[in-house]
Amino acid sequence: MASLVAACMTSHAPNMTATPAAAPEQRARFLAGLAEMRRRLVAARPDLVIMFVNDHVQNFFYDNLPAYCVGVGDTHWAPKGAASFLKIPQRQVPGAGAWGKALLAAGLEAGFDLAVSHDLEFWDDVSVPAHFLMPEGTLPILPVLTNCVAPPLPTPRRSWALGQFIRRFVDAQPGHERVAMIATGGISHWIGVPNTGHISPEWDRWVLDTIADGRGEELAGLTWEQIERDGGNGGQEIRNWISVLAAVPGVKGEVLAYEPVKEWLTGCGAVWMQV
Amino acid sequence: MSDYHLNRVLYDRAREHKMAESIGPDELTGYDLTAEERAALAAGDLDALFRLGANPYLIRRVFRRRYAL
Repeated sequence: MASLVAACMTSHAPNMTATPAAAPEQRARFLAGLAEMRRRLVAARPDLVIMFVNDHVQNFFYDNLPAYCVGVGDTHWAPKGAASFLKIPQRQVPGAGAWGKALLAAGLEAGFDLAVSHDLEFWDDVSVPAHFLMPEGTLPILPVLTNCVAPPLPTPRRSWALGQFIRRFVDAQPGHERVAMIATGGISHWIGVPNTGHISPEWDRWVLDTIADGRGEELAGLTWEQIERDGGNGGQEIRNWISVLAAVPGVKGEVLAYEPVKEWLTGCGAVWMQV
Repeated sequence: MSDYHLNRVLYDRAREHKMAESIGPDELTGYDLTAEERAALAAGDLDALFRLGANPYLIRRVFRRRYAL
Protein backbone atom coordinates (compact mmCIF):
# COMPACT_ATOMS: atom_id res chain seq x y z
CA MET A 1 0.00 0.00 0.00
CA ALA A 2 1.01 3.62 -0.44
CA SER A 3 2.29 5.35 2.67
CA LEU A 4 2.69 8.84 4.07
CA VAL A 5 6.41 9.38 4.68
CA ALA A 6 6.63 13.12 5.40
CA ALA A 7 4.41 16.01 6.45
CA CYS A 8 5.44 19.62 6.88
CA MET A 9 4.29 23.22 6.58
CA THR A 10 6.00 26.41 5.51
CA SER A 11 5.03 29.99 4.90
CA HIS A 12 5.35 31.43 1.40
CA ALA A 13 5.95 35.04 0.36
CA PRO A 14 6.99 36.50 -2.99
CA ASN A 15 9.71 38.62 -1.40
CA MET A 16 11.54 35.49 -0.22
CA THR A 17 12.95 35.42 -3.75
CA ALA A 18 11.84 38.76 -5.24
CA THR A 19 13.93 40.87 -2.82
CA PRO A 20 16.90 38.63 -1.98
CA ALA A 21 18.94 41.40 -0.35
CA ALA A 22 16.25 42.26 2.21
CA ALA A 23 16.49 41.30 5.89
CA PRO A 24 19.70 39.25 5.43
CA GLU A 25 19.91 37.84 8.96
CA GLN A 26 16.28 36.79 9.19
CA ARG A 27 16.44 35.48 5.65
CA ALA A 28 19.47 33.33 6.47
CA ARG A 29 17.81 31.89 9.57
CA PHE A 30 14.53 31.12 7.81
CA LEU A 31 16.23 29.60 4.77
CA ALA A 32 18.33 27.45 7.12
CA GLY A 33 15.02 26.06 8.40
CA LEU A 34 13.90 25.34 4.84
CA ALA A 35 17.27 23.70 4.12
CA GLU A 36 16.70 21.36 7.07
CA MET A 37 13.17 20.69 5.82
CA ARG A 38 14.62 19.85 2.41
CA ARG A 39 17.21 17.52 3.96
CA ARG A 40 14.46 15.61 5.78
CA LEU A 41 12.23 15.51 2.69
CA VAL A 42 15.03 14.03 0.60
CA ALA A 43 15.77 11.49 3.33
CA ALA A 44 12.09 10.43 3.31
CA ARG A 45 12.47 9.45 -0.40
CA PRO A 46 8.94 10.45 -1.51
CA ASP A 47 7.63 9.43 -4.93
CA LEU A 48 5.18 12.32 -5.01
CA VAL A 49 4.18 15.28 -2.89
CA ILE A 50 0.66 16.48 -2.19
CA MET A 51 0.88 20.26 -1.81
CA PHE A 52 -1.88 22.05 0.10
CA VAL A 53 -1.77 25.57 -1.25
CA ASN A 54 -3.98 28.49 -2.22
CA ASP A 55 -4.51 30.46 -5.36
CA HIS A 56 -3.85 34.20 -5.18
CA VAL A 57 -6.55 35.11 -7.71
CA GLN A 58 -4.30 34.07 -10.61
CA ASN A 59 -6.03 30.84 -11.71
CA PHE A 60 -9.47 31.44 -10.25
CA PHE A 61 -11.46 34.65 -10.53
CA TYR A 62 -14.93 35.56 -9.35
CA ASP A 63 -16.46 34.09 -12.50
CA ASN A 64 -15.54 30.58 -11.33
CA LEU A 65 -14.10 30.24 -7.87
CA PRO A 66 -13.84 26.83 -6.22
CA ALA A 67 -13.68 26.32 -2.46
CA TYR A 68 -11.38 23.35 -3.06
CA CYS A 69 -9.73 22.20 -6.28
CA VAL A 70 -7.40 19.35 -7.22
CA GLY A 71 -4.86 19.84 -10.01
CA VAL A 72 -4.76 16.77 -12.24
CA GLY A 73 -2.43 18.09 -14.93
CA ASP A 74 0.65 16.09 -15.90
CA THR A 75 2.63 19.33 -15.45
CA HIS A 76 2.14 22.64 -13.66
CA TRP A 77 3.74 26.01 -14.26
CA ALA A 78 5.70 27.08 -11.18
CA PRO A 79 6.16 29.88 -12.08
CA LYS A 80 5.08 31.14 -15.48
CA GLY A 81 3.87 34.74 -15.71
CA ALA A 82 5.20 35.58 -12.25
CA ALA A 83 8.75 34.48 -13.11
CA SER A 84 10.28 37.91 -13.63
CA PHE A 85 8.62 39.27 -10.51
CA LEU A 86 9.61 36.30 -8.34
CA LYS A 87 13.11 36.13 -9.87
CA ILE A 88 12.64 32.39 -10.36
CA PRO A 89 13.08 31.09 -13.92
CA GLN A 90 9.92 29.88 -15.65
CA ARG A 91 9.58 26.16 -15.26
CA GLN A 92 7.13 23.33 -15.55
CA VAL A 93 7.14 20.83 -12.72
CA PRO A 94 5.71 17.34 -13.09
CA GLY A 95 2.18 16.69 -11.88
CA ALA A 96 0.67 13.50 -10.55
CA GLY A 97 -2.28 13.29 -12.91
CA ALA A 98 -3.31 9.70 -12.25
CA TRP A 99 -3.25 10.27 -8.50
CA GLY A 100 -5.15 13.52 -8.95
CA LYS A 101 -7.90 11.86 -10.94
CA ALA A 102 -8.12 9.05 -8.40
CA LEU A 103 -8.40 11.63 -5.60
CA LEU A 104 -11.11 13.46 -7.51
CA ALA A 105 -13.14 10.27 -7.96
CA ALA A 106 -12.60 9.13 -4.37
CA GLY A 107 -13.65 12.56 -3.14
CA LEU A 108 -16.91 12.44 -5.05
CA GLU A 109 -17.62 9.03 -3.51
CA ALA A 110 -16.81 10.28 -0.01
CA GLY A 111 -18.74 13.54 -0.16
CA PHE A 112 -15.87 15.91 -1.05
CA ASP A 113 -16.95 17.42 -4.36
CA LEU A 114 -13.59 18.90 -5.33
CA ALA A 115 -13.31 21.12 -8.36
CA VAL A 116 -10.76 20.02 -10.93
CA SER A 117 -8.16 21.80 -13.05
CA HIS A 118 -5.93 20.38 -15.77
CA ASP A 119 -3.93 23.58 -16.18
CA LEU A 120 -2.57 25.53 -13.22
CA GLU A 121 -0.15 28.41 -13.06
CA PHE A 122 1.44 28.92 -9.67
CA TRP A 123 2.82 32.04 -8.04
CA ASP A 124 4.67 32.17 -4.75
CA ASP A 125 2.18 29.62 -3.33
CA VAL A 126 4.04 26.68 -4.94
CA SER A 127 6.91 28.28 -6.85
CA VAL A 128 8.78 29.78 -3.89
CA PRO A 129 8.64 26.76 -1.52
CA ALA A 130 9.41 24.41 -4.43
CA HIS A 131 12.40 26.59 -5.36
CA PHE A 132 13.93 25.95 -1.95
CA LEU A 133 12.60 22.47 -1.10
CA MET A 134 12.57 20.76 -4.51
CA PRO A 135 14.93 22.73 -6.75
CA GLU A 136 15.50 19.76 -9.07
CA GLY A 137 11.90 20.00 -10.24
CA THR A 138 11.61 16.24 -10.68
CA LEU A 139 9.25 15.23 -7.86
CA PRO A 140 5.63 14.97 -9.07
CA ILE A 141 3.35 17.48 -7.35
CA LEU A 142 -0.35 16.88 -6.69
CA PRO A 143 -1.78 20.29 -5.77
CA VAL A 144 -4.86 20.63 -3.58
CA LEU A 145 -6.02 24.24 -3.57
CA THR A 146 -8.18 25.86 -0.90
CA ASN A 147 -9.82 29.22 -1.35
CA CYS A 148 -8.12 31.34 1.31
CA VAL A 149 -8.30 34.70 -0.46
CA ALA A 150 -11.81 35.47 -1.73
CA PRO A 151 -14.43 35.24 1.04
CA PRO A 152 -16.62 33.55 1.94
CA LEU A 153 -14.01 30.85 2.60
CA PRO A 154 -14.50 27.21 3.48
CA THR A 155 -14.42 26.65 7.24
CA PRO A 156 -11.22 25.51 8.95
CA ARG A 157 -13.25 22.55 10.21
CA ARG A 158 -13.92 21.52 6.60
CA SER A 159 -10.21 21.82 5.78
CA TRP A 160 -9.52 19.49 8.72
CA ALA A 161 -12.04 16.99 7.37
CA LEU A 162 -10.49 17.24 3.91
CA GLY A 163 -7.04 16.51 5.34
CA GLN A 164 -8.40 13.48 7.20
CA PHE A 165 -10.01 12.24 4.01
CA ILE A 166 -6.86 12.68 1.92
CA ARG A 167 -4.83 10.76 4.52
CA ARG A 168 -7.34 7.88 4.25
CA PHE A 169 -7.12 8.14 0.47
CA VAL A 170 -3.32 7.86 0.56
CA ASP A 171 -3.42 4.88 2.89
CA ALA A 172 -5.92 3.13 0.61
CA GLN A 173 -3.92 3.41 -2.61
CA PRO A 174 -2.89 -0.03 -3.86
CA GLY A 175 0.62 0.84 -5.08
CA HIS A 176 3.77 1.27 -3.04
CA GLU A 177 4.20 5.02 -3.50
CA ARG A 178 5.83 7.03 -0.74
CA VAL A 179 3.88 10.24 -0.30
CA ALA A 180 4.91 13.57 1.24
CA MET A 181 2.52 16.34 2.23
CA ILE A 182 3.55 19.98 2.27
CA ALA A 183 1.30 22.88 3.20
CA THR A 184 2.28 26.45 2.38
CA GLY A 185 0.98 29.85 3.49
CA GLY A 186 0.44 31.84 6.68
CA ILE A 187 1.26 32.55 9.35
CA SER A 188 0.02 36.09 10.18
CA HIS A 189 0.10 38.76 7.50
CA TRP A 190 -2.02 41.63 6.31
CA ILE A 191 -1.91 42.10 2.53
CA GLY A 192 -3.62 44.74 0.38
CA VAL A 193 -5.76 45.85 3.31
CA PRO A 194 -5.42 49.26 5.01
CA ASN A 195 -2.84 47.95 7.53
CA THR A 196 -0.78 46.08 4.95
CA GLY A 197 2.54 44.94 6.36
CA HIS A 198 1.32 44.30 9.90
CA ILE A 199 2.51 41.02 11.46
CA SER A 200 1.37 39.48 14.76
CA PRO A 201 4.21 37.47 16.35
CA GLU A 202 1.86 36.76 19.27
CA TRP A 203 -0.64 34.95 17.07
CA ASP A 204 2.16 33.23 15.15
CA ARG A 205 3.63 31.93 18.42
CA TRP A 206 0.23 30.70 19.56
CA VAL A 207 -0.23 28.81 16.28
CA LEU A 208 3.27 27.29 16.48
CA ASP A 209 2.97 26.41 20.18
CA THR A 210 -0.40 24.76 19.54
CA ILE A 211 1.09 22.63 16.77
CA ALA A 212 4.26 21.87 18.77
CA ASP A 213 2.06 20.63 21.60
CA GLY A 214 0.19 18.20 19.34
CA ARG A 215 -3.04 20.18 19.60
CA GLY A 216 -3.34 21.13 15.92
CA GLU A 217 -7.01 20.23 15.85
CA GLU A 218 -7.67 23.35 17.94
CA LEU A 219 -6.86 25.39 14.85
CA ALA A 220 -9.79 23.72 13.09
CA GLY A 221 -12.07 25.41 15.61
CA LEU A 222 -11.04 28.92 14.54
CA THR A 223 -13.56 31.11 12.78
CA TRP A 224 -12.96 33.40 9.81
CA GLU A 225 -13.51 36.37 12.12
CA GLN A 226 -10.96 35.20 14.68
CA ILE A 227 -8.31 34.58 12.02
CA GLU A 228 -9.02 37.89 10.27
CA ARG A 229 -8.69 39.77 13.59
CA ASP A 230 -5.63 37.98 14.99
CA GLY A 231 -3.75 36.73 11.93
CA GLY A 232 -4.90 39.08 9.18
CA ASN A 233 -6.38 38.28 5.80
CA GLY A 234 -3.16 36.42 4.95
CA GLY A 235 -3.59 34.35 8.10
CA GLN A 236 -6.59 32.70 6.42
CA GLU A 237 -4.03 30.57 4.55
CA ILE A 238 -3.66 28.57 7.78
CA ARG A 239 -6.38 26.36 6.24
CA ASN A 240 -3.64 24.73 4.16
CA TRP A 241 -1.70 23.86 7.32
CA ILE A 242 -4.85 22.56 9.00
CA SER A 243 -5.37 19.97 6.26
CA VAL A 244 -1.84 18.60 6.75
CA LEU A 245 -2.28 18.62 10.54
CA ALA A 246 -5.44 16.56 10.08
CA ALA A 247 -3.44 13.97 8.17
CA VAL A 248 -1.18 13.44 11.22
CA PRO A 249 -3.51 14.08 14.17
CA GLY A 250 -1.95 14.33 17.61
CA VAL A 251 1.61 14.55 16.28
CA LYS A 252 3.78 17.17 17.96
CA GLY A 253 5.28 19.56 15.43
CA GLU A 254 8.92 20.59 15.41
CA VAL A 255 9.41 24.25 14.57
CA LEU A 256 12.41 24.45 12.24
CA ALA A 257 12.27 28.23 11.87
CA TYR A 258 10.19 31.22 12.80
CA GLU A 259 10.90 34.75 11.70
CA PRO A 260 8.47 37.67 11.57
CA VAL A 261 10.02 39.30 8.48
CA LYS A 262 8.80 42.85 7.98
CA GLU A 263 10.36 43.03 4.53
CA TRP A 264 8.45 39.89 3.50
CA LEU A 265 5.26 41.25 5.12
CA THR A 266 4.78 37.86 6.76
CA GLY A 267 5.21 35.98 10.00
CA CYS A 268 7.15 33.05 8.53
CA GLY A 269 7.14 29.59 10.06
CA ALA A 270 8.49 26.22 8.96
CA VAL A 271 7.31 23.13 10.84
CA TRP A 272 8.12 19.45 10.53
CA MET A 273 5.64 16.78 11.60
CA GLN A 274 7.16 13.42 12.52
CA VAL A 275 5.18 10.80 10.60
CA MET B 1 -24.16 46.94 -6.65
CA SER B 2 -21.82 44.03 -7.13
CA ASP B 3 -18.08 44.53 -6.84
CA TYR B 4 -17.57 42.04 -9.67
CA HIS B 5 -16.66 44.57 -12.35
CA LEU B 6 -14.33 46.49 -10.04
CA ASN B 7 -12.46 43.26 -9.39
CA ARG B 8 -12.59 42.44 -13.10
CA VAL B 9 -10.64 45.65 -13.85
CA LEU B 10 -7.93 44.67 -11.37
CA TYR B 11 -7.86 41.00 -12.38
CA ASP B 12 -7.45 41.85 -16.07
CA ARG B 13 -4.43 44.01 -15.23
CA ALA B 14 -2.99 41.48 -12.82
CA ARG B 15 -3.19 38.75 -15.45
CA GLU B 16 -1.15 40.95 -17.79
CA HIS B 17 1.29 41.77 -14.96
CA LYS B 18 0.55 45.45 -15.44
CA MET B 19 1.24 47.61 -12.41
CA ALA B 20 -0.41 50.99 -11.99
CA GLU B 21 -0.37 54.10 -9.84
CA SER B 22 -3.95 54.80 -10.85
CA ILE B 23 -6.37 53.66 -13.56
CA GLY B 24 -8.00 56.46 -15.50
CA PRO B 25 -11.27 56.61 -17.47
CA ASP B 26 -9.63 55.90 -20.84
CA GLU B 27 -8.62 52.46 -19.52
CA LEU B 28 -12.08 51.59 -18.24
CA THR B 29 -14.09 51.36 -21.43
CA GLY B 30 -16.43 48.40 -21.33
CA TYR B 31 -16.40 47.93 -17.56
CA ASP B 32 -19.70 48.39 -15.73
CA LEU B 33 -18.59 50.57 -12.82
CA THR B 34 -20.18 53.07 -10.46
CA ALA B 35 -18.98 56.68 -10.34
CA GLU B 36 -17.49 55.96 -6.91
CA GLU B 37 -15.51 52.99 -8.25
CA ARG B 38 -14.25 55.02 -11.21
CA ALA B 39 -13.19 57.84 -8.88
CA ALA B 40 -11.32 55.46 -6.57
CA LEU B 41 -9.50 53.89 -9.52
CA ALA B 42 -8.65 57.28 -11.04
CA ALA B 43 -7.31 58.52 -7.71
CA GLY B 44 -5.52 55.28 -6.92
CA ASP B 45 -7.25 55.44 -3.53
CA LEU B 46 -6.37 52.02 -2.15
CA ASP B 47 -8.40 52.32 1.07
CA ALA B 48 -11.47 53.36 -0.92
CA LEU B 49 -10.99 50.45 -3.32
CA PHE B 50 -10.84 48.09 -0.33
CA ARG B 51 -14.03 49.62 1.14
CA LEU B 52 -15.75 49.20 -2.21
CA GLY B 53 -15.01 45.48 -2.22
CA ALA B 54 -11.83 45.16 -4.26
CA ASN B 55 -9.97 41.97 -3.39
CA PRO B 56 -6.93 42.96 -1.30
CA TYR B 57 -4.62 40.57 -3.16
CA LEU B 58 -5.56 42.25 -6.43
CA ILE B 59 -5.08 45.71 -4.88
CA ARG B 60 -1.63 44.68 -3.71
CA ARG B 61 -0.67 43.17 -7.06
CA VAL B 62 -1.84 45.98 -9.33
CA PHE B 63 -0.76 48.86 -7.10
CA ARG B 64 2.41 47.21 -5.83
CA ARG B 65 4.55 50.25 -6.53
CA ARG B 66 2.50 52.24 -4.06
CA TYR B 67 3.82 50.18 -1.16
CA ALA B 68 7.15 50.83 0.53
CA LEU B 69 7.92 47.08 0.67
